[in-house]
Amino acid sequence: MKKWFTYNLSLKLIALGLAVITWIYINRELMR
Amino acid sequence: MSFFWIWDFIKPALEISILWVFFYHVLVFFEGTRAFQVFRGISYLLILFLGAQILGLDILSWLLTKFFAISIIALLIIFQPELRQGLARLGQQHLFNIALEESEIVAIIEEVAAAAYKLARQKVGCLIAIERETKLQAYIESGLEIDAKISAELIQSIFLVPSPLHDGGIILRSNRIIAASCLFPLSDNPSFSKIIGTRHRAAIGITEHTDAVVVMVSEQSAEVSVAADGRFIPVASQERLVATLRDLLFTETKKKKSFLSEINKA
Repeated sequence: MKKWFTYNLSLKLIALGLAVITWIYINRELMR
Repeated sequence: MSFFWIWDFIKPALEISILWVFFYHVLVFFEGTRAFQVFRGISYLLILFLGAQILGLDILSWLLTKFFAISIIALLIIFQPELRQGLARLGQQHLFNIALEESEIVAIIEEVAAAAYKLARQKVGCLIAIERETKLQAYIESGLEIDAKISAELIQSIFLVPSPLHDGGIILRSNRIIAASCLFPLSDNPSFSKIIGTRHRAAIGITEHTDAVVVMVSEQSAEVSVAADGRFIPVASQERLVATLRDLLFTETKKKKSFLSEINKA
């Protein structure tokens, strides 16, 4: 399990960052 | 009432998770290609742009909007090989991720093992990298693309010394020999003794950088070894090599455990 988290960690973090910011941005646009 | 209250919390988490998986797979798709560094840089700029939009930093947003508008043409040029490959893949099995039949994988393993032992008997060195999840595109580009069906005879003829492709390693993807004469990064792990040669260092090097499995034959000792996860083990017989490769290539969960236990046993 630990190996799953650490494998390709930088990619996972970049992907998470993109996902969170995209969600916030789209959510904000939809709220307008 | 309480269901809707819980759903309000679950919904964003679910949407973010789906986006996360999507972005991760896009990044993995580009990983290993030369365009990956460019793509990662663009991701950082995109995060900056979206951050600027959320925080209402108008000047930065305006600047980045203009930058993205101009850079569309630049991106089309930079990503041209990847876009071409991506479109070509639409007609291929990779997009739908159709796995090979178990019998096909066994046949491939047997061809590789037969080739390795035939070469070992002739004291001819070889380096065979089998691609798993991580794309080996950068290494494929360092060699000569072949794209031929895997066969023991073809592998043998690539590595026999008069062949112009005998230097470097070959890369197998699915049931194809994708490229030959590929250059692999050398491991600088000090825990391996200085006795191991460049071929072993290259085999260990690529398994340190990627999740590939490498079969190698030493020219000096005619010993056959398998490398994965930055380690290697010598294999005693052709049957043992088939069994080790089966363990490594069949199931995701089983593969690493079994190889590590093999190392621990050795």
